[in-house]
Amino acid sequence: MSAAIEIKNLSKHFGAKVAVNDVSFNVEEGHCYGLIGPNGAGKTTTFSMMCGFLFPTQGSIKVLGVDPSEAGALKGKVGVLPQDAILPPTWPVGELLTYYGNLSGLPNAESEARAVLERVQLPETWNVAAGALSHGMHKRVSMAQALMGAPPVIFLDEPTAGLDPKIAASVRNVIRDLKGKHTVVVSSHNLQELEELCDATAILDKGKLVSASSMAELTGQFAEFRVQIARGDVPLAEVKATSGVKEAHVDGNKVLCVTYDGQAVQPEEIITRVVGLLASKNVLFLTVWRGKRLEEKVLQLT
Amino acid sequence: MADLSEIVAIWSGETRRALKSGRVLVLLVLFVMFVGLALTLVGGALHQVNAKFEQEAAMAGADLSQASAQLTEQKKQFLKMFVTEDEAMLDSLAAIPIVLLVVFKLTLRFLPLFIALMGFDQLAGEVGPKSVRYLVVRVKRNSIILGKLLSQLTIFALLLSLCTLLMVFVARVLNADFATSQVALWTFKLIISSLVLSLAYLSLTALFSAITRQSGIALVLNIIALFVIWFIALVGGAFRFPGEEAALNSLAMLKSESWIAYLRYASVWHFGDDLLHPSWSRALPAALVHVGYGLGFLGLAQLALKKRDL
Repeated sequence: MSAAIEIKNLSKHFGAKVAVNDVSFNVEEGHCYGLIGPNGAGKTTTFSMMCGFLFPTQGSIKVLGVDPSEAGALKGKVGVLPQDAILPPTWPVGELLTYYGNLSGLPNAESEARAVLERVQLPETWNVAAGALSHGMHKRVSMAQALMGAPPVIFLDEPTAGLDPKIAASVRNVIRDLKGKHTVVVSSHNLQELEELCDATAILDKGKLVSASSMAELTGQFAEFRVQIARGDVPLAEVKATSGVKEAHVDGNKVLCVTYDGQAVQPEEIITRVVGLLASKNVLFLTVWRGKRLEEKVLQLT
Repeated sequence: MADLSEIVAIWSGETRRALKSGRVLVLLVLFVMFVGLALTLVGGALHQVNAKFEQEAAMAGADLSQASAQLTEQKKQFLKMFVTEDEAMLDSLAAIPIVLLVVFKLTLRFLPLFIALMGFDQLAGEVGPKSVRYLVVRVKRNSIILGKLLSQLTIFALLLSLCTLLMVFVARVLNADFATSQVALWTFKLIISSLVLSLAYLSLTALFSAITRQSGIALVLNIIALFVIWFIALVGGAFRFPGEEAALNSLAMLKSESWIAYLRYASVWHFGDDLLHPSWSRALPAALVHVGYGLGFLGLAQLALKKRDL
């Protein structure tokens, strides 16, 4: 699989402030890639440089082999849902999307506009002025314009921020549909959402890259598992002595954390062994999950 | 390089949208109000002058041809004060009603401000709320500027044509001797000269809209720039009094041969009057200067938008 996006030693300074500092990572073609980090980490700045809105101070970006800061380089190649970008308020939604379609050079802009509005479940907004849309509708119309023409790369900056759970779920479904067919870059604070959607992530903190890896590597899905204990005393010494287990401990929330040698043993084998041991010792448990929660990993790294 | 299809798409979309908006109507009302006010004031003043003259001529029993010649001379003096001091131009302009000339001249002075009011937010109004981001992933930044500028020019041409037709119509009603053949010719001349003049100011407005993030600041900077342009032309013009005029002017000793007089060439305002000159040797350079300033401001606007973060 080749890289759809290549970022090398990317930095962005705003005067004396360093917003992004020497960041490098690649996004594989067809992947859904998450940009994660606390407020002010440099996610949106990195995102904006990938879309050609901001020019890097140093370093380079290639999106499908072209530099996004070159005039017209991204035409027809990317769809973007920018964070906080307001749709021109006086334009009716249908007319606006058709206009954007024409600018993208789509041969049948109006029918494409109708199709993407259907996709985000907002066909009734065709004649509604963009300024009259609710926040959730505005976000979905913005998302619709990003999907127009089925571009190979789609950037979504905070696609579910401020949406109610039902609408957020429908937006996640749209993103899920894009996976595999498009390269999708999603920036979000919702780590559960990213964990569910993304194949790989970059974690930024204070402008620096602290991790760039696949979701499985990041959450240790092939090296750790956890068991939520309900009742009973965990036979820790026996768990540690189980074949393949490297380390085990119980944390303050009565969660048994087991680290194992992912190269030597399959996860299903080691989990079954440990769970069987617990059951034989009358230890009752509620759930078992592989790896760490993304949230836990991010909190640890940032 | 900008892409022609992109420019056409932006021009077409923006123009259709603008024509449907209430803003164009407000601008039209503003323009018509200004023209109407100028027509009323200038027309009223001229009517009073004419009436007084005719009354005095009748009382003195002067013959008609002498009275007519005197009236023509008075009109010439009036034009000298409000329109131009150029004799060749005065002779050429004698064919059209004085009210039309004076109102048109006042309108030309108002146009740069009107253009600023019309287009100050064409780019700044998209950069501030970041809606320009929806455009820059689809088209080249140069195409955005050119498409929007053409849209502004189209709307301006439409409003200007309507107001010029109004001016000519009123002038024709007030002056029965304004020959029909002259009406068409001068309507065309007035519209074309105004459009040429507008090129520089439309580009200037695009420039200030391209370098700012807030529409209000773009408008203020644009108005300041207009004052600077006007002030340079005024100062340069005031220090230019060759020949006999120098002796008649109280500031002559300051003005004759001063290098400051040459400053006027740095102001596009200075060349505005020559656009209606009957001689091509004066009108063409004036037109080229306006086009040149327009291209210069446009180039700066393109450079600014190309280099800036959005």
